[in-house]
Amino acid sequence: MKYILRWREWGQAVAISLLCGCAGNGAGLDQSGRPVTGGGGTNGPLTADYASIQSHVFTPICTACHAGGGAPQGLRLDATNAYASLVGVPSNEVPGVLRVKPGNPGNSYIIQKIEGHAAVGARMPFGGPYLDQATIDTIRQWITDGAQRGAGAAAAPLAVTSISPMSEDFLPDGRARLIAGFSEELDQTRLDSGSVRLERLDPGTGLPVDPVAVEIAVPAGNPRALMVITAKALGDGRYRLVVPAAPETGLSGVSGRRLEGAGPEPTPVLLDEFDLVVQK
Amino acid sequence: MTIHVVFRLLLTLACAVGSWTVACAEPYLAVQQGYKCAACHVNATGGGLRTEFGIVFAENVLPARTLPEGVPVWTGRVGDFLRLGGDLRTNWTRTELTGAKPQQTFQIDQVRAYAAMDIVPERFSVYVDEQIAPGNATAMEAWARLTDASSGTYLKAGRLYLPFGWRLQDQTAFVRETSGISMATPDTGLELGFEREHWSAQLAVSHGTANAGQESGHQVTSQVVWVQSRYRLGGAVSLTQSDAGNRRAGALFAGVRTGPVAWLGEIDLVRDGGVPEGSRSMIAMLGEANYRIRKGHNLKLTAEYLDPDRRVAEDQQTRWSALYEYTPMPFLQLRAGLRRYRGIPQSVLENRRVAFIELHGFW
Repeated sequence: MKYILRWREWGQAVAISLLCGCAGNGAGLDQSGRPVTGGGGTNGPLTADYASIQSHVFTPICTACHAGGGAPQGLRLDATNAYASLVGVPSNEVPGVLRVKPGNPGNSYIIQKIEGHAAVGARMPFGGPYLDQATIDTIRQWITDGAQRGAGAAAAPLAVTSISPMSEDFLPDGRARLIAGFSEELDQTRLDSGSVRLERLDPGTGLPVDPVAVEIAVPAGNPRALMVITAKALGDGRYRLVVPAAPETGLSGVSGRRLEGAGPEPTPVLLDEFDLVVQK
Repeated sequence: MTIHVVFRLLLTLACAVGSWTVACAEPYLAVQQGYKCAACHVNATGGGLRTEFGIVFAENVLPARTLPEGVPVWTGRVGDFLRLGGDLRTNWTRTELTGAKPQQTFQIDQVRAYAAMDIVPERFSVYVDEQIAPGNATAMEAWARLTDASSGTYLKAGRLYLPFGWRLQDQTAFVRETSGISMATPDTGLELGFEREHWSAQLAVSHGTANAGQESGHQVTSQVVWVQSRYRLGGAVSLTQSDAGNRRAGALFAGVRTGPVAWLGEIDLVRDGGVPEGSRSMIAMLGEANYRIRKGHNLKLTAEYLDPDRRVAEDQQTRWSALYEYTPMPFLQLRAGLRRYRGIPQSVLENRRVAFIELHGFW
């Protein structure tokens, strides 16, 4: 019976109902109804940063339902969990659409839900009142700016944390399977066959001579890795794996961060360079 | 003997029997008539597709005026094995917030289509409740049900509304938002039901709405209702195991009829272990009076109370509503109402005023 709520609580609840409760006077509380603690708070106008949106929108409005062990769609929007539940996370209702897609508010499910044109279900906040356009525009701006967690903090770029094969490694098989690990989950919606390029290098000049046809994939269960598989068996030689310069083909993380070394200049980023000796 | 006469005989017989089963997306009707939910709804816990008796009730008892004799009327039955139905709610809403421009919206609140296929009548059926709008079509309920009429038990599996407290039409009522269990939050799992003359009980084991997208966690929900012709008492519990934190909820609810007034009450207690400060206890209450002024006219008054965190003083909220429901003819209802929210003064949202007019078509 310890799982059943205590009788004392029921007694209190009935007593309160008999008094037919009045609304609280809000003494010592912020506008979200939480006790005011030193620093922080929800004062000041809404601005296009995560902390402000959390305190003006998510906490006071959304957590009426989206919190705790009963949060609809498993979406928890309290201050501790909101960022991790939103940014780069596929929505449950339309898994192909991220709840927040950094840099792309139009393709962020949260925007579709609060504007009322999502593919599934009712406009949020459920039952209204709906967010005014100025508030929606501020959330859009935050997403356009990369949906960063810190207010204006410069985010670390996406970094390669592991690569296989490493430079100077020898591959045992002609049909190569290259795997790169990254510091953040990859934005799979931006990946296509042009996101990386495998090139065979001229042994004399070291310059690329032949592009190699590859397929790319993100391994199931490991969204921080990228697998590059050659379409045909390779011959002996030296190869390099690069990310092309064109920013639209970008390899980027779900937070919108681009690869380390990818700057405004159209320069390919070298991921890997290795020798291949095919076993006979 | 016309089909109308047959239906009226059916209705009279049902009223005489009294404690059959009826209507719960507007549960005051069940309290007013002394029925259980399953009399008017295919779903034993209420809401969704109406039974043949529910359609007869909607045609003859609810409206101010019935249709003239001989007018063809929808019965919901298509052939021997299929029943169809639906609901359409469209409304105009005006919300006033202190210091902000009033917000007015016309919107389709919901369009639902229901279908029940009696594959083996009274033994095995399949049911779908599809929300057609807003948004693309999505299944709110989709289940298969095995029924054993001799023992009054059934087992259904699929996507279903969990049995917990009054299944209100207003999904934004404090008791529905706080419990997190409503007709807006269906879940996937199994429900074992037990229906006897004066008892209705369900036990559901489901994945848990908070566990959507996760591979772990579950929710166990159970409800027992004792139904008499003039009153009923119910209790429900729900236990959610989730990576987000466990949640325990309990509800006591009751309904009683005094003359033309049907009274509903519910108290929900929720303890949630998935909040940033560790755990939080909440209380939500509902009191509702439905005054049947005359046939086709209902005045609904509700008072609600919410304490969103019992450890925090002076954060309570109230919500008062006055609604008039006019059903001029079968299958059509007009609703107009005012809601007044009161909460802490520093929250604009908790002190809003809402006016609405709704057109509800049902069949």
